[in-house]
Amino acid sequence: MRTEVRFSSKRFLLALMLCACSVILLLDDDLDRQTSFTFNLICLAVGLGICFLLFLPSILLKIRTDSDVPTLVRCCTPRLHLPVAIFYAMYFVYTAVFFLLPYTDMFHIKYFPDVTPCLITTLMLLGCAYAASKGVNVISRFGIFLFLFALLTNFLMFGGSIAELDFRHYHFTPEGSAGGFLQNTLYFVTPAFIAAVYACCSGTTRNFRFRQPLLALVFTGAKYAAVLFFIWFALGDYAMRQEYRTFVLSRVAHFGVFAGIESFYLALATMSVFMIVSLFLCCMTRCAGSGGSWKSILLFTAIILALYVTATYLPAVKEVLMQPALMLFFTFVAAAVVPFVYLFVGRKSNAKKA
Amino acid sequence: MRRKLSILFTVLLAVLCTGCDHARQIETAAIIENVTVDRRGEELVYTFYRLTSDEKPWGTEVPAASFEEACRLANERYIPHLSLAMLELLMLSEDVYTEVMRGDVDYISTQPSFSPIAYVTLCDEGAMKQFRQANRVQRLMEEQIILLKKNNPAVNINYLSVCNSLAHGNEKFLVPFLSSEKELKVNDFEIDPAKLK
Repeated sequence: MRTEVRFSSKRFLLALMLCACSVILLLDDDLDRQTSFTFNLICLAVGLGICFLLFLPSILLKIRTDSDVPTLVRCCTPRLHLPVAIFYAMYFVYTAVFFLLPYTDMFHIKYFPDVTPCLITTLMLLGCAYAASKGVNVISRFGIFLFLFALLTNFLMFGGSIAELDFRHYHFTPEGSAGGFLQNTLYFVTPAFIAAVYACCSGTTRNFRFRQPLLALVFTGAKYAAVLFFIWFALGDYAMRQEYRTFVLSRVAHFGVFAGIESFYLALATMSVFMIVSLFLCCMTRCAGSGGSWKSILLFTAIILALYVTATYLPAVKEVLMQPALMLFFTFVAAAVVPFVYLFVGRKSNAKKA
Repeated sequence: MRRKLSILFTVLLAVLCTGCDHARQIETAAIIENVTVDRRGEELVYTFYRLTSDEKPWGTEVPAASFEEACRLANERYIPHLSLAMLELLMLSEDVYTEVMRGDVDYISTQPSFSPIAYVTLCDEGAMKQFRQANRVQRLMEEQIILLKKNNPAVNINYLSVCNSLAHGNEKFLVPFLSSEKELKVNDFEIDPAKLK
């Protein structure tokens, strides 16, 4: 019988933090242009507050039962195993495509216009399938390497000379509308998908502390704030004119001595999407009860590819899939509602056993 | 054996997938350091000055209506391995700036390969002539622009600040103006965005 090795919770949350930060690299900073830097900081605080609330049920589940949703479903409600597994599989397939679409678009438009996006996605998914077969533990080890690489890249991105930036036209007065607040807050809630990953894989970790997810969200917020500062405040309209606004991050290097680090940016985005999709595949196989099985990994990989191809060739499907509100709704169910239900079911089942 | 194969595979991936394709040798690249715009008769001429260690600047003149067109023509007809990643200075003659400034800064600000802190300046005919004479003058002009910025921080000396100033409606703003009667001088010059085409 195969026994599951538990690894450090700290390491797992470090990997999840990197996944949360990568949203900035992958999505094209979908914020309302009529809002100011300070207003966006408020939206950021509210957005990450909501992320924390979505995180809370799985944190409590971990504290009370030292387990995760797939384990509790198998132990407490075996009859619900199939519907819950199907729901999580659908959720993670959708979320994987949600991140793959902007990544391959960026890769295709900015770097390799001659290569078809479907080929890029197929190669990427094959790599992810291999990583998923190795398990969450190995992926989180890769997270340590990615963290160091991200540190280096961020140092190069933000290490430019502040004196060269253009602060004269911009100010700290909060300016924005109710519509802008809603749009921007929705964007900042996107990293909440890590709560769903945590709800599915936290059972494989040990030495959990409450401060770990809190710190992960605080660091994510700090990274977002730094990006906002550079894109929305220090570079102003110049940043807004870029085809890919987040690419200004690579161009921030032009302000210092480190010119030409665009490939660093691309490498970081590639590794981030690789880690996100690998973790999703792990979550899906865990929920299906076939952790590490090649057959199920390849099946889920094929489903992701099929949805991706559909979204690429049918713009209407792509438009629906890229709706942040839809993403938030499913994240709310996957990260908060299901773990919240099992918070009580798990306790009741433990009480019965006692 | 398996470990060695995976290391070999990783090294091959690192070499092949990190930008070694479409590589351009530095020796064959035509790295442009400065660009000037002036009028010759009826037509606008963009001159691309290459990075060179010679005393005399190496300029290629391209007649075109805009910087975008000049870059395209230069790449197609005059400088096949054109590289504008190291562009340091765009110098506009005082009689053409109303025609080209808005469009050229607009184009440059959307091009990922251009540095946003490259200098933008206006100049008179004398400064333009001196610019063509020696590379030393080009260095001197850049030093003068930096000194002007130190003395008057309100002057917009690079694409970033000029682009942001133009984006803020019709507020007037200052840019450097290089003049040369007896010696090279730099002053600030007020730009009225309403007058720009």
